[in-house]
Amino acid sequence: MSDGGGPARGSRAEALWGYAFIAPTGLGLAIFYLWPVLQTAYFSFTEWGPFGGHTWTGLANYTRLLGDPEVGRAVLNTLTYTALGLLGIPVAIVFAALLNRPGLRGVSLYRTAFFLPVVTMPVAVAMLWRWLYNGDYGLINQVLAVVGIDGPNWIADPATALYALVVVGIWSSVGYNLIIFLAGMQAIPKELYEAASMDGAGRVRQFFRITLPMVSPTAFFVSIVSVIGSLQLFDLVFVMTGSGKAARANPAYTRLQTVVQLFYERAFVTNDRGYAAAVVIALLVLIAVLTVLQFRLQRRWVHYV
Amino acid sequence: MSERRPLGVHAVLAVSSLLMVAPFAWQIVTSLKTLSSATAVPPTFLPEGRWDNYAKVFDLLPFGEQFLNTVVMSAGRVAGQVLFCSMAAYAFARLRFPGRNLLFGLFLSVLMVPPQLFVIPQYQIMSTLGWLNSLQAIIVPGLFSAFGVFLLRQFFLALPREIEEAARLDGAGPWRIYWSIMLPLARPGLVALAVLTLLWAWNDLFWPLVVNTDPERMTLSAGLAALQGQYQTDYPVLMAGSLIASLPVIAVFVFLQRQFIQGIAHTGTKG
Amino acid sequence: MWKSARSAAALLCAALLASACGGGEQAGAGATAQGKVTLSYGVWDATQQAVMRDLAAEFTKSHPNITVDVQLTPWVDYWTKMKAAVSGGAAPDVFWMNGPNFQLYASNGVIAPIGERIDTSVYPKALVDLYTYDGKLYGLPKDMDTVGVWYNKTLFDAAKVDYPADDWTWADFRRAAAALTDPDKGVYAVGAQLTSFQEYQYNTIYQAGGYVISPDGKQSGYADPKTIEGLRFWTDLIAAKQSPDLKTMTDTAPLQLFEAGKLAMYWGGSWNVAEFGTNDYTKDKVDVAPLPKGEKQATIIHGVANVMSAKTEHPAEAWEFVKFLGSGQAAGLLGKKGPIPAYNGTQQDWVRAHPEWKLQTFLDSVAYAVPYPVSKNTAAWQEAELTHLTKAWTGETPVERAAADLAAGMNDLLAEE
Repeated sequence: MSDGGGPARGSRAEALWGYAFIAPTGLGLAIFYLWPVLQTAYFSFTEWGPFGGHTWTGLANYTRLLGDPEVGRAVLNTLTYTALGLLGIPVAIVFAALLNRPGLRGVSLYRTAFFLPVVTMPVAVAMLWRWLYNGDYGLINQVLAVVGIDGPNWIADPATALYALVVVGIWSSVGYNLIIFLAGMQAIPKELYEAASMDGAGRVRQFFRITLPMVSPTAFFVSIVSVIGSLQLFDLVFVMTGSGKAARANPAYTRLQTVVQLFYERAFVTNDRGYAAAVVIALLVLIAVLTVLQFRLQRRWVHYV
Repeated sequence: MSERRPLGVHAVLAVSSLLMVAPFAWQIVTSLKTLSSATAVPPTFLPEGRWDNYAKVFDLLPFGEQFLNTVVMSAGRVAGQVLFCSMAAYAFARLRFPGRNLLFGLFLSVLMVPPQLFVIPQYQIMSTLGWLNSLQAIIVPGLFSAFGVFLLRQFFLALPREIEEAARLDGAGPWRIYWSIMLPLARPGLVALAVLTLLWAWNDLFWPLVVNTDPERMTLSAGLAALQGQYQTDYPVLMAGSLIASLPVIAVFVFLQRQFIQGIAHTGTKG
Repeated sequence: MWKSARSAAALLCAALLASACGGGEQAGAGATAQGKVTLSYGVWDATQQAVMRDLAAEFTKSHPNITVDVQLTPWVDYWTKMKAAVSGGAAPDVFWMNGPNFQLYASNGVIAPIGERIDTSVYPKALVDLYTYDGKLYGLPKDMDTVGVWYNKTLFDAAKVDYPADDWTWADFRRAAAALTDPDKGVYAVGAQLTSFQEYQYNTIYQAGGYVISPDGKQSGYADPKTIEGLRFWTDLIAAKQSPDLKTMTDTAPLQLFEAGKLAMYWGGSWNVAEFGTNDYTKDKVDVAPLPKGEKQATIIHGVANVMSAKTEHPAEAWEFVKFLGSGQAAGLLGKKGPIPAYNGTQQDWVRAHPEWKLQTFLDSVAYAVPYPVSKNTAAWQEAELTHLTKAWTGETPVERAAADLAAGMNDLLAEE
């Protein structure tokens, strides 16, 4: 059972130490994470009163879930956001490749600029973009007006809201992914590029023939993390739609509502916690299916050396 | 080998860097305007020194307390995770005990589950303990992290065994080996975990929003969301509030830039 | 390390307990030694936070063993967080209650009825009725509010439109609206706000002769042609571009548009006095007029009451505080610095606090005021109002159809109550 070498020595004492070392985190995870998963699963078969207390209702929440148009919309919005959010990966790869150019000056300055949104509080990011997207007074439409374009109410218009949200998502995550890709690219052996230059391959060809295949395992990792993260989108939407009643009066609400936001509303606004538990179990299934799918598809595009 | 001067590269990078930063500049400008001048058409680009937007933020919400709550919460989570995760990670990497792989698998399984699944029962626990609206509520569940164990275990596995063996021959027990030898060696890993935990803790919204509803017990991100609740679309005030709330972590980032970048780069290395 | 293991074990027990009893009671952190008691007091209005603290301090003067901690939760989160707090056993000892939420809280037994016999004739009857459930009074009215038209005198002058007269009608309002709208300057006559039924739709519905809910609380009024007339009042204004469309009002709320000089009129409550009196732009540019008369004259009257949590650790002290807040003394303090006190005879102070405005308007309109429509689970059909009427406001669905859909949905919800 062990992956280490060395002779077994004082193994009983060592085992006790081992348990002692993992005890704090082990108990913490058991109480606050593993046990709650089981409880949530149980709650998904119960109905809650407005001020607490619950009764067993069997599959009622799940049948309600399947017929709830709000759930269908939220799942569709979330999937669309997730799929479009993947566009951030090629963007990050291209910028990482530009920054990885040997001898380039000012790399740390550029890197800082890209990284700034990553360390900014998502609630603040959402407020900031809500203001930039303002239909009448937002910076974006004011700039567009200069070139004679009458911009829409980006996040209040059902036609544009979700795409506007994707842009914010990419803007705030591209710096994170860029760092990971940059680390991946720096691990590529220099000899490969030297050999390619000898063969007369230009930078662009080198990028496609060497860089891209070599970072594909990293891209796979990033895509897994990105999909899981996107499926849990909450902060941006919660702030950008406005809270409470204002959110439901947003004409684009039906295009912005996500699964986790629906979960929040049912669990902590209407206190319909049994149903909320069912919603979040559905999210678990969604994440599991998409992750398995990604692992299946990786054979087609990921190159392992 | 024709090495052209990378002017084109600089142009692309400079323009896109500007696009990344421009929203922040506009945020600062707006935070110093009145509502009337912020909604003027055509817009004005100069800030006006309307500091009362900042005063309004402090009027409405106990930002001082919320700042302190956020600092204590972040510090507590960072300290707890660095200590507890490194202990568990060391055990999983180096010590042998029955059921080790099974337990590690259990730890990892937590990583596979979306965190929203924990929220309702965690809330029940807090409520039973009488911990709603308390600092413990926002700190304690964040002391434990499967991710941290996973990340640090990679670090310990990569460390050479020779020094440990030497210490062991000198009669050092597991705790001393862990504390005086392994921890110093794993410093980059600890810093990476600390930096990431700080970032996530500071910006965390969902759990603090749910569990601490008393404004004096809220964190900055939940308080900021509440500010929007009050001031709706009074953008100058909102810009002032969002700036104050996110500035501390941005400042930390500027000072610890290298550590942040390395920390994130580490999460990308496949285990 | 052992310490942490032990406390972890304690947590484990707690976790098991949590699942066993599903969130039971818990000790609050109020009582300390020597009979000193701290009461928590939940409020939602930031502009009243200061006067609430003054009242708390005043109360402590006469009750030295009781201190009151005023907890402000902004309006949009207030009810969400209150529900969560109640189910977690962490509700404030005393808190503000409003009409739409009252029956839900009373019928679920999470607020305590008033045991002592008190004289309710000092409050407006509409408000006493609002906070009576099953024949028992649960809260003492704190304040009252009615709705009027706040208008921007500067914009009226610029458009050469006369200020609204006290007896103006829908026709007068529409004429003024047309004259005040100035697309070149980005100025609209009024914002047809969708989210505040109390200041907008409910008023015009009753003015048109319609109703929101039948007196027995069993039937929706939204299928009534007159009710629809009251809704069309607003959708027509949007269609005529005399009000911003819903998208614009989502990006920038009517209150901010009014405070930036982009709206000539704002239908608002008497509670807006605090806001408009301190805002740099509005404080010397606005005044108030009664709502225009449709088929009838109507304004919605509502008031906040102070109620006690049924689970408070200090019921006697909480009641002392509620009684104090409902007294003439407290009302006198409130009237000088806050909203209109509910205590009859103290309201003139409130009018005198702002001699520059015609605040008497709000008191005069009590004569024809209509109570805020509520039922046992008001929040449920209020969500339906928004969901269905959003479509009418965007123009996606004709207002008749949206109202018919709403009536059907609302009737289903009322049947479940």
